[in-house]
Amino acid sequence: MSETTLDQTPQSDAREGVASSDRRKFLRKSVALAASGAAAAAAGNAYAGDVKLETVTDPLKPGATRNILGRGVVSVPYGMPSKFEKHVVRRNVSWLTADTVASISFTPWQDLNGIITPNGLHFERHHAGAVDVDPETHRLVIHGMVDKPMIFTMEDLKRMPSHTAIHFLECPANGAMEWRGVQMDSMQFTHGMMACSEWTGVKLTDLMEYVGVDPKSTWLYAEGTDGSALQRSIPMEGAKDQFGEPLPADSCEMYKDAMIAYAQNGEALRPENGYPIRFLLPGCEANMSIKWLRRIKFVDKPLVTYQETRHYIEPLPDGTIRQFSLVNETNSVINYPCPDNQMKGKGAYEIRGIAWSGRGKIAHVDVSVDGGKNWKEAELVEPVMSKCVTKFKLPFEWNGDEHLIMSRATDETGYVQPTLMQLRNVRGTNSIYHKNSIQAWKIEKTGEVKNVQIENF
Amino acid sequence: MSKLKTSKFGLGLAAGVMALGLSTAGIAGGFNGIGANITEKAVDPWDISVFYDGTNLPKGSGTVEAGQQPYDAKCAMCHGAFGEGAEGYPKMAGDPMPAFIQSLKQGLDGVGNRGVNNAWGHAPTLFDMIKRHMPFYAPGTMGVDESYAVTCYVLNLGGIVDMDFTCSNETLADVDMPAREYYVTDTRPDVDNKRCMSDCYDEKPKVVGAAVTGVSE
Repeated sequence: MSETTLDQTPQSDAREGVASSDRRKFLRKSVALAASGAAAAAAGNAYAGDVKLETVTDPLKPGATRNILGRGVVSVPYGMPSKFEKHVVRRNVSWLTADTVASISFTPWQDLNGIITPNGLHFERHHAGAVDVDPETHRLVIHGMVDKPMIFTMEDLKRMPSHTAIHFLECPANGAMEWRGVQMDSMQFTHGMMACSEWTGVKLTDLMEYVGVDPKSTWLYAEGTDGSALQRSIPMEGAKDQFGEPLPADSCEMYKDAMIAYAQNGEALRPENGYPIRFLLPGCEANMSIKWLRRIKFVDKPLVTYQETRHYIEPLPDGTIRQFSLVNETNSVINYPCPDNQMKGKGAYEIRGIAWSGRGKIAHVDVSVDGGKNWKEAELVEPVMSKCVTKFKLPFEWNGDEHLIMSRATDETGYVQPTLMQLRNVRGTNSIYHKNSIQAWKIEKTGEVKNVQIENF
Repeated sequence: MSKLKTSKFGLGLAAGVMALGLSTAGIAGGFNGIGANITEKAVDPWDISVFYDGTNLPKGSGTVEAGQQPYDAKCAMCHGAFGEGAEGYPKMAGDPMPAFIQSLKQGLDGVGNRGVNNAWGHAPTLFDMIKRHMPFYAPGTMGVDESYAVTCYVLNLGGIVDMDFTCSNETLADVDMPAREYYVTDTRPDVDNKRCMSDCYDEKPKVVGAAVTGVSE
């Protein structure tokens, strides 16, 4: 712990009954910052030693909410966050795309404290805007290499055996703006193209059994009913690309966790996330989890759609263009502190963050506060689940020095999250997608926290 | 049963009595009786998906010349009269393949330079995209022949087909797309970081910063 009175924790001051002039100055400053001067009786009263009582609420005085009646039940039939949480919203970056109907918004992970993303904060990615699909008239068709081509109503799907699991969805462009250098001053924009929800629906493999999929089918494709009629090819065992090259074995297993989802965090999907049904392919780039799903066809070759030849490809420095890079590899980031959550004075903190892997469970998260020279294993917060966000935490005592803080996740396959330089050495700076490198934040002496990159390892 | 209605236990007893008459054979569950069969013929109007090799291309055709009018009217405001792109909308014609590859090798920004001539493996996919998704403000509203014509016009803008070329379900799969041979399937993991815990580097970290501020509207 620290040198001067100002660095002491409030508790230790209270215990010692210290009320020095330095201490008073500090208290006034805190009051001004925390409660905009309203409780400015501050120093000198009966609680002079206790910052908490003075800056939050004095229980012995009537407060703004004490002698009035609040709102009745169902005055807000669908509950909303406190008006003091208005800043916790999805945001977009206006210069990133030409139009918001073919664009992306970002989840504010800097303000979230669990592994579940509230439905209204799940990032959005549309190719022709979010549409309102009527569940009464909407249908799902499954056809192609099957014994029985079938058509289902939404009620049909809800009658079937259900499957529930918690999984993240991540756009492969998460972090893309940072390939060439530091660009965004907010964790929302460096890592917000990812969200994690509890999903309920019908397991794809159950439906496959029901319609009798031909074992010779090596691919399926899913298609949405929005303006873009977005379609993606999804590999199964034995899948080969258009040149006859096999896809990586792990990509070909992903469909086993797939479902046709109708519920997200217990309620119906939101329109922005595919209401009334979406394909959900945990572990793979979220573009494959087709929203507003209308059709699944079992086939024996990929479509090689627009999304697979023009969009979600990675031009590499050796002059090749990587395609079907589907799996979201292990990633992690510290969301407290971060550029959105700066230091508020010296003393105790808990470094917290999130880690996720498209290949399974998170096995370890290590944290460095010295730019990667030394690492300490963080505590993983239960539950730790496959293809799901895992929280981690580690106590940190900040004495006012500069630090480079970073997290490094390892998943159950043993894959260790790479450094940015390792990725750039292999992929250059034009590959856009799947940037899962270790994120460094710099804590300045002032307590500011900045987005930085480490360029030599 | 009716006498029991006044009892606070009535409801539970009544349910119990009724259950005696029910079979437990249905507990197995599953999918039986759910959904309806449909023929491939009935699905046909939905099945607009075209494979890279031209499978499922609809019957029809359009020339480069026939594509100019609809392209200028419906596409040029976003993609440029010469396919050069506009205001954040994609180019149709990017750097030719050798220059595109060179920019990748030199680490220059090649992303904004993608077009049909350097980042499309197969011409039928271009038709599929246009028919399915274009024009942007009224997606899926172009006819089959019109879509072939616009496909042809865009391929010509990219220097891929001559002025006198006709795009059709017969010809499109054989169009030689310059980028085709450059595609390789995923080979990740392509990096192998180690879980070093102490004294991992001798060098001091070289830190670069300067994030843009004020991007969050």
